[in-house]
Amino acid sequence: MSVRGRLSILAAAAVIVAACSSGGATPSASSAAASQPAAAGSESAAPSSAASAAPIAGGLLEKILKAGKLVVSTDPKYPPQSELEPDGTYKGFDIDVATEIAKRLGVTVEFTTPDWTAITAGGWGGRWDISVGSMTITVDRKKVLDFSPPYYYTPAQMAASTHSGITTMDGLAGKTICSGESTTYDQWLNGKLDYGTGQDLGHPPAGIKTVTLPTDTDCPDQWKSKRFDFDGWLSSITTVDGAIKAGLPVVKIGDPVYYEPLAVAVDKSGPPDTDFLPILTKIVNDMHSDGTLTALSVKTYGSDFTIASK
Amino acid sequence: MIAPAAARGPLGMGPGPEAIVRAVAGARRQARLRFRLVFVATWIVLVGGLVLLIGSTGRVDLEFLQKWGPFIFGGIPLTIAVSVVSIALAVVFAIVGALGRLSRNAPVYAAATLYVSLVRGTPLIVQIFFVYLALPEFGIVLPAFIAGCLALSFNYGAYMTEIFRAGIQAIPRGQVEAAASLGMTERHTMRRIVLPQAIRIVIPAIGNEFIAMIKDSALVSFVALQELFWRARTVGSANFQSFSTLVLAALVYWGLTIFFSLFQERLEKRMAESDVRL
Repeated sequence: MSVRGRLSILAAAAVIVAACSSGGATPSASSAAASQPAAAGSESAAPSSAASAAPIAGGLLEKILKAGKLVVSTDPKYPPQSELEPDGTYKGFDIDVATEIAKRLGVTVEFTTPDWTAITAGGWGGRWDISVGSMTITVDRKKVLDFSPPYYYTPAQMAASTHSGITTMDGLAGKTICSGESTTYDQWLNGKLDYGTGQDLGHPPAGIKTVTLPTDTDCPDQWKSKRFDFDGWLSSITTVDGAIKAGLPVVKIGDPVYYEPLAVAVDKSGPPDTDFLPILTKIVNDMHSDGTLTALSVKTYGSDFTIASK
Repeated sequence: MIAPAAARGPLGMGPGPEAIVRAVAGARRQARLRFRLVFVATWIVLVGGLVLLIGSTGRVDLEFLQKWGPFIFGGIPLTIAVSVVSIALAVVFAIVGALGRLSRNAPVYAAATLYVSLVRGTPLIVQIFFVYLALPEFGIVLPAFIAGCLALSFNYGAYMTEIFRAGIQAIPRGQVEAAASLGMTERHTMRRIVLPQAIRIVIPAIGNEFIAMIKDSALVSFVALQELFWRARTVGSANFQSFSTLVLAALVYWGLTIFFSLFQERLEKRMAESDVRL
């Protein structure tokens, strides 16, 4: 390769970087937050109260409608909410819900698979529009994310390895309990889970130690690999049932410990979502009232998790 | 070959010089052949043992892998694409870095030194996080593929800077002086005389870095790129079959590195051709 050839590669790289940075400048983090009130103000004709909010310039709704697609983040390591098919497509309750939301928006759905910790941390940089990932609404997450009303409620279930011989909640006192990284289960075990509603969520067994792994299913998978660094596992009852069904050495411990309101999340630092949130809220409420969510829940879980309990 | 020569008896004339040469060559060839046979046999025994060991855990579910194999293998093109693009960009970073490290201009030298020090002093995974998650804070939102490749090449570029620097310094000073006496400028000398020869010296090393890159490309699974490792890990995790899928991924990575090592060996020989005495 000639010297000129190499230099042209350098030039091409510079062009790519420049193009990307200018393209990304519009929905950027800090500038978007600052321009949000201004954009809403300039479109003063757009009613904020009506559910049929019109798209505002540079807003999330406009972005979605313009692209003709809704980009949804999902973690396919989390069956039966989200998992892969051998042909590379996705299935599960969250996938069904996301597909239905896109359908009601009149756009196609597209999935992207960033790490769960990158989703809950906010600062998506406009890479995806919403998260339909069974995310619990918490005070901490509300600082960086906006939420729809809950689309379903799953019980959090304590479990133990059959190897430990533990069968009661008290038996877990002083033991080590595993959960997924950046999950509400980890927060609850450390006494830090707060919905911001003043609701009493109960207390973990006394004197426990906690450990986290990249995703919930990694906990029982370690037991399957005959690693017993921890005895307990806290996750969604749907995931625990899935593990038991898959023949893993897991037993459920006691009744569900608390119930989680799970909602669609939108990045606060992304394009302004004042135009999008009312529509999203209406779609979720409609899906509750017309029985769509119940039907999807029964299809995936065999029972209806869409009604708030406790 | 040795036997007939020795059988001529104590009073014979003894083997001639040609026969001795032939005998020695034959003995060497035999020794080499024996070495190869033992080498292959040892590999078969060790690999066979490894397969039995992994099989004895009973955790490798072949039926499961048959079902998911095509999907996991589907990540190979992306793994190779990420590696190829990253190594190409890394070469650019490395040339610029090496020229900076050899510069007599203080700010340029300082910048190049800082680049190498900073990148070599921080973990690759942190750099990938930074490009993917922190750059958007400054309004720079790179697509996942470019973010992943940029982080990998930025990192490898720093390591390869030292390789290129060594390559440039290996060019005898006399050539630079000769070029200067012909009236070539410093820049011209670098472009026409030094860099072309330095590239030839460092190409085998780049091949080596490329093979390492294939394995480190697994780290971009964090940024939503569904390459080989991401697929193995996700499918394994969701179905409680991590052991099976990770063994499969390991085999594929191994196969890929063996495949590219063969190219690397040929390249090395080709590049060394002019140094071989005829």
